[in-house]
Amino acid sequence: MKNIFKLPSMLRFVCLTLFATLVVYNCSDEKFKESTDETLNITEYLRANTDQYSLFLQILDITDYASFMNTYGTYTLFLPTNEAVEAFMTDYGVSSLENIPLEDLQELAKLHILEQKIETTSFTDGKIATPSMQGQFLITGATNSADGSSITVNKSAKITTSNLEVGNGIIHEIDKVLIVATKTLAQTIEDEPSLSLFTEALKATGWYDELDRPITYVDSVPSYLSVIAQTNAVFEEAGYSNLDDLKARYSHLNDPMNPEDSLNLFVAYRISPGLNYLADLAVTPALLTKAPLEVISIKLSADSLLINEETFNGILEKGVQIDREPSDETATNGVLHLVKENYFIKKRLPAPVYFDMADQPEFRQLSSVFRVPGMWASLSDSELSNMTWEGSPSITYTCFDLGSSSRPGWHGDVLDVLRLRDGYINNIEFDTPVIIKGQYKVWISWRQNSRAPNSVRAYFNDTQLARTFNMQEYGDSSTPERVLESQGYKRHIDPFTSRYNCRLLGIINVETTGRHKFRLQSLAYAGGNSWFDVLEFRPVDMDQLYPKFEAGGDGLIYE
Amino acid sequence: MRNKIIYNLVLIVALLAQACDSYLDLQPENGTTRDEFWKTKEDVQAAVIGIYSGLLNTPGSGTTIAEYSFMYGELRGGMVGAGAISSDDQRDIITSNILPSNTISNWGTFYTVINYCNTVIDLAPDVLALDPTFTQEQLNQYLSEALAVRAYLYFTLARTFRDVPLKLNATLSDDDNFQIPTSTQDEIFSQVVTDLTTALGWAVEDYGDNPSNKGRITKDAINAMLTDVYLWQEDYPNALIAADAVINSSLGYELIPGGPSWFTTVFARGNSTESIFEFQYTPENRGPFYSIFLQRPEYLAEASVLDDVFGLDFEDPENKDIRGERASLVPGTNEIYKFTGLNADLRKSFSESDTHWFVYRFADVLLMKAEALNELDRGDEALEIIERIRESRLAIELTEEQVTGDDKNGVRMYILAERAREFAFEGKRWFDVLRNARKDSYANIDIILGIAIATAPANQQQSIVAKLKDPNSHYLPIYEYELYTNKALEQNPFYK
Repeated sequence: MKNIFKLPSMLRFVCLTLFATLVVYNCSDEKFKESTDETLNITEYLRANTDQYSLFLQILDITDYASFMNTYGTYTLFLPTNEAVEAFMTDYGVSSLENIPLEDLQELAKLHILEQKIETTSFTDGKIATPSMQGQFLITGATNSADGSSITVNKSAKITTSNLEVGNGIIHEIDKVLIVATKTLAQTIEDEPSLSLFTEALKATGWYDELDRPITYVDSVPSYLSVIAQTNAVFEEAGYSNLDDLKARYSHLNDPMNPEDSLNLFVAYRISPGLNYLADLAVTPALLTKAPLEVISIKLSADSLLINEETFNGILEKGVQIDREPSDETATNGVLHLVKENYFIKKRLPAPVYFDMADQPEFRQLSSVFRVPGMWASLSDSELSNMTWEGSPSITYTCFDLGSSSRPGWHGDVLDVLRLRDGYINNIEFDTPVIIKGQYKVWISWRQNSRAPNSVRAYFNDTQLARTFNMQEYGDSSTPERVLESQGYKRHIDPFTSRYNCRLLGIINVETTGRHKFRLQSLAYAGGNSWFDVLEFRPVDMDQLYPKFEAGGDGLIYE
Repeated sequence: MRNKIIYNLVLIVALLAQACDSYLDLQPENGTTRDEFWKTKEDVQAAVIGIYSGLLNTPGSGTTIAEYSFMYGELRGGMVGAGAISSDDQRDIITSNILPSNTISNWGTFYTVINYCNTVIDLAPDVLALDPTFTQEQLNQYLSEALAVRAYLYFTLARTFRDVPLKLNATLSDDDNFQIPTSTQDEIFSQVVTDLTTALGWAVEDYGDNPSNKGRITKDAINAMLTDVYLWQEDYPNALIAADAVINSSLGYELIPGGPSWFTTVFARGNSTESIFEFQYTPENRGPFYSIFLQRPEYLAEASVLDDVFGLDFEDPENKDIRGERASLVPGTNEIYKFTGLNADLRKSFSESDTHWFVYRFADVLLMKAEALNELDRGDEALEIIERIRESRLAIELTEEQVTGDDKNGVRMYILAERAREFAFEGKRWFDVLRNARKDSYANIDIILGIAIATAPANQQQSIVAKLKDPNSHYLPIYEYELYTNKALEQNPFYK
């Protein structure tokens, strides 16, 4: 022992450290696990639970997928129980899984596997965002029966145990085997007796073949279609009992195969590109159709989905309800929905839209501010549903005092944007009210301010408009108004004050009836406020000066 | 040389000491210090005050009972939406996408405080023998407080989870049995009634100072709780008796007339004549509200609340319900304002954000009485109560409903709507909706479905409605960690 103290100091230190380390480690038993992970992977999990899942395991073995389902990854497996697979075999008419053609079995197995880990919390009423490995999308939902509510997959299979974490993904146990859709849209429609008239119309217009085509990929975008069909009963209700009735009413060229014939358009108006389940429709305000440049609008009202319920010039047009129960029918090349009433393309003439830019629904809710003289309120980008912009500051609604020199705007209020410029607030985008398709002249009016940007550019649906406007420019109160109009200016309010100005931005062609995007981009520096009054869309053949707007009031003033 | 030896020895000792401190620790770790504690009446009093302190900010829990009460009572009620920095778990509760792994279903904090109560109930009676100055009356009074707080916590748990384990004795060491199965909601409710009735016999009527009367359990607080439980048990005659006991109390509760200072008096300052029982947060012991509603907003009012609940008079903006704009919420931004505002113009600063959590207010008892009256076919009297409240709150005509006393369902819905206005964001909404929906074996489940239809995200609406048709889904799951540690628990079948 004494020898230790005779050792050189370095060695002594080492000895001491070793001694101390020994003491430290002796205090507690080592409890570390030597292996990194003991969670089973999917195939192992099935092998460990053969009493419930032996048949699906057999499918994996036959198809040779068992080994890759055991590799590391992030899979989601919809796992049918043995009873489910037995029921499937009975339906299929086989006594053993070996009797099913290998190709079918492979497709079937792949339909149950997703290559991403999806928990039930991210399920919606529609498709799971990731397709199955088979290629078809699975749709989720929920159903209520006598034994309570459960989450469903592809409408019929109930999830009995959810979110089982395994080493390489997640398992949801289901009580029915998922079936691969084998019919095209055209076949699905034709096989449904109540859609016989619709089928006839499809065939007469040539759309049947279009709906019978398998999926193709253009730039890796699949050619899915969504069809909104209507039953014979719905046709009957509208007064059409056979194809001749339909032809008599719609086929104005007597050639349904011609894409310009109204019957052809009638059918095309029910077909839209893309795979749109009801849940997708519920969040799609406007849906393009195969009828050129025609859109249908979709609105969720309480729990019904309404097609084409719109307000035109203050008049509400009732929509047509989608029949939820038989809808969401998956086909190989798309999805089929049904409606409860007949609907058709309405011919509408372009009508003027006077968009008071300050009239945003969230400002309107502030009843003690909105159009109350002397009041203002600011809201941020995330709080305004119909506007977005670059930059974090808020945008203000201002209603001027009755005595204010700025009061003479329409309704006495403006949309007040501080420092409309890069780096503060710029590229403000508005959702316009519904504009009917046609050609329009676009006018914008503002309250002059020498600290506002002297050059602002406007975009309609990302297309640049012909002219920029200068928000420092006063209105012209002397030039005769028709002469002024020819110069691209006008006096939009009455009585007029030169503190307000109005500029023609250009002529636009609105291609689809619906809500559009309008964007303002400042090209210059701004140190102060920009005050916007009205954005006018006037059909080109309409008088561009009248009606004018009542200065500081709500009315329109006619010539 | 000697110095070096000493240094080395010091080093060894220091290393030894750090290596395993348990080596030097002679105290058994799984024993409380009850031998030194429960000796005098001061100890008992300290333990009782400890219960209240635990209610306000539970040691060892990041989330307070007040915030849990808010989440349990509001997230599913359709009046609260997710804020900018809500957690996924909070969003999932709002959209009925609930898994047993959702941390909000962790009831640990509640059982921590329940154990504080159990400890007092178990150990305080022994002090009687040790401290001659401790009287039976004092003891009973302390017991009544512990019993009532425990009853209220179990009541909240049973409304949230339906079946929960009922533990009525103190957990004093790690050797206690923790494998306790759940008791049914009915059993919990009747235990709550038993405890509250016992407590009522012993409770104090008047502590002599206002903060204690509003911040500690009084006879009136117990009667308010009883009214609530009886309504859940659909025992309306008893609910009526308990409500009337509060209304005729000697403390003289009354509705403060609506005016510019109403919000400040009732909410910002608290302990008003409208108040029955509140969590007494102070500037030194602040509640969670400044952070969760203002600084890092986890919750917002649903955009439709201002218009649909309080009504908006577009013709005359001055005509407004005093409970709406800048009382419950801020229009436009939909910020929840009730717990952070000082008055209609100013918010409290962080250091003075002491707004209480309001467990029972006088208006609550009045409207619970109205509910009992209506169920007892005395709708006209119920309507009178609604009218009285609406008048004092300057409710606007737009939210007035034209119903007669014999239209039982109409009056029921009117009371529910009035409660939404009166108790917006006070942790009552979902429980009100659920209580009314489940009456007469779920005769009114449409109330819940209607809320889902109106507020669910458009692409999940159908699933949410289908899920909510199953009454099991109206209760939260047992948190998976609890299932893991307590094998006697059985999960709610909806979450299996």
